[in-house]
Amino acid sequence: MGATHTQVKIENFSMTKGLTTTLMVMIGIGVFSMGWTWMVDDEAHTRFWTNFLHNASFVTGISFTALFFLCVCITAWAGWVSLFKRMWEAMAQFLLPAFVLMGLLALVVYFGLGHNTLYHWADAKSVETDKILNGKSPFLNKNWYLFATLIIVGTWYFFARKMRSLSIDEDANGTMEFKHHHKMRVWAPAFLPIAGFSSAAIIWQWIMSLDAHWYSTMFAWYSGASWFVSMICTTILVLLYLKSRGYYSQVSDEHIHDLGKFLFAFSIFWTYLWFSQFMLIWYANVGEETGYFLIRMQEYPVLFWANLAINFILPFFVLMRNSTKRKIGSLTFAAVMVLFGHWLDFFLMIKPGALHTAHELAHHGDGHGAHAEGAHAFMTGFHLPGFLEIGTFIGFMGLFLLVFFMALAKAPLTPKNDPYIQESLHHHV
Amino acid sequence: MAKTTDYIYGLYDDEVDLMDAIKVANAEHLEIRDVFTPFPVHGLDPLLGLEESRLHIAGFVYGGIGTLTAFLGMTWIFTKDWPIIFGGKPYWSVPAFIPITFELTVLFAAIGMVVSFYIVCGMGPGVQEKTLDDRITDDKFCIAFDKSQVDEHTANSFFKNTGAGEINSKTL
Repeated sequence: MGATHTQVKIENFSMTKGLTTTLMVMIGIGVFSMGWTWMVDDEAHTRFWTNFLHNASFVTGISFTALFFLCVCITAWAGWVSLFKRMWEAMAQFLLPAFVLMGLLALVVYFGLGHNTLYHWADAKSVETDKILNGKSPFLNKNWYLFATLIIVGTWYFFARKMRSLSIDEDANGTMEFKHHHKMRVWAPAFLPIAGFSSAAIIWQWIMSLDAHWYSTMFAWYSGASWFVSMICTTILVLLYLKSRGYYSQVSDEHIHDLGKFLFAFSIFWTYLWFSQFMLIWYANVGEETGYFLIRMQEYPVLFWANLAINFILPFFVLMRNSTKRKIGSLTFAAVMVLFGHWLDFFLMIKPGALHTAHELAHHGDGHGAHAEGAHAFMTGFHLPGFLEIGTFIGFMGLFLLVFFMALAKAPLTPKNDPYIQESLHHHV
Repeated sequence: MAKTTDYIYGLYDDEVDLMDAIKVANAEHLEIRDVFTPFPVHGLDPLLGLEESRLHIAGFVYGGIGTLTAFLGMTWIFTKDWPIIFGGKPYWSVPAFIPITFELTVLFAAIGMVVSFYIVCGMGPGVQEKTLDDRITDDKFCIAFDKSQVDEHTANSFFKNTGAGEINSKTL
């Protein structure tokens, strides 16, 4: 032990023109798709705003879970990530644009531009007459929605800045007493309970409350796991891209293998939560709970089953063997599919409830009872994602990656004074 | 009685010395019979040219047998053998089968792999495993040669050159 000391390679990432152009084109596709969606939309722009919520919350979740996992690693003395942990610091910097995006959405909900029908509980007339919505109104109301969105995402961003600035200051002023690391070990564990409770609350109000009459205590865990798996996929794909450009040459198959294990393990964790939620509701068979799954199984069968196939069956069998987690081809395939799969998962969480609300308010339903009969006619962009949804996704990923790469370029790719850097260099599984 | 082998083995104090010694042995084409360490040493397997264990493939097969046993078993029991209606659910209630299917998959895989491992290693309740030296379970790192493959003189000079603290012979 200690007989081998490897020199850590310190390099800086710089944006190439080709990369910037590609990301700009992606953002352009997104803006174009969103503009088009706005024009072909219904009066209330339900498709536009659900797409906005879907993609904005998805990328917000990726940057939030990056920060969360960074803090988990610091708290757990996990050294193997040190070589490339700057990537997670950079991903977490997206929480500032996320603050703007989700804040914008919260303002739209607050002021109810035009007839905003995204959330059933945001319709004052429904709340008056609907007992359930009325009972939930202390939590599900416009004031709290706006306030919690700004406060929670703002807090996340504060921690993202804190972890990042400590890490960068360590490069210049790091000491052998590891002063910076000790400070990180105060901030990181402080963030974990905050992250746990606040993410649950924000998922309830952003996503679960689209089905305003329904609730599930598993929901926050389940969609949080979805965010986490998406973050691991993004990490793998970006890391492999950076390696292919010659960066991170000291990140070895061993690190990639461990990221593959996280993808494999947390895909199973997600499935466990998905099934726990499903089975309890199926078993209890209470009408107001089963409605959530009934509509998804009857009107969205392709997405409902594809969700399980892509996010469980595929990574389970593709990544089961040792070798497939280490080979770039199979790992990239699984990461791309699962990232897309969890995007579909969020699509399926968001669209049915929003479409239902839109129908209900358009027909001046009084909240409940009058809507149970009959399936809604098939609509692209609601029952299945259309090209405009894919375009919007590309746009948001482009924005996310642009912010990420710009943040990544601002500091060396590897923190040279991190106390775990030698452990990370010699990582072996 | 199984036939015995004459071993000559050297004990090292440190796994770095051990790894360096193995590299020397490989370079000199000395056939290493086995290496014993008190804890898993990273990077040892490729140096010794060991193949990846096939135990996990067996584990997958055992797990698959568990899956089928549970799922088909419950299917037969609840649809053919003794159909009972639980809470108005259909006889063939797949979601209710999943937890038990999962448990039996894990159970079959776990027990199957443990039993396979014991059989392959010749271990079992009451079996007295003969060891070259008790200290290889404590703090010594051991390289063992088979005397019929590597003669004693070559082995002795190899151990001395590579810094083994102790050289012994034993017949097992």
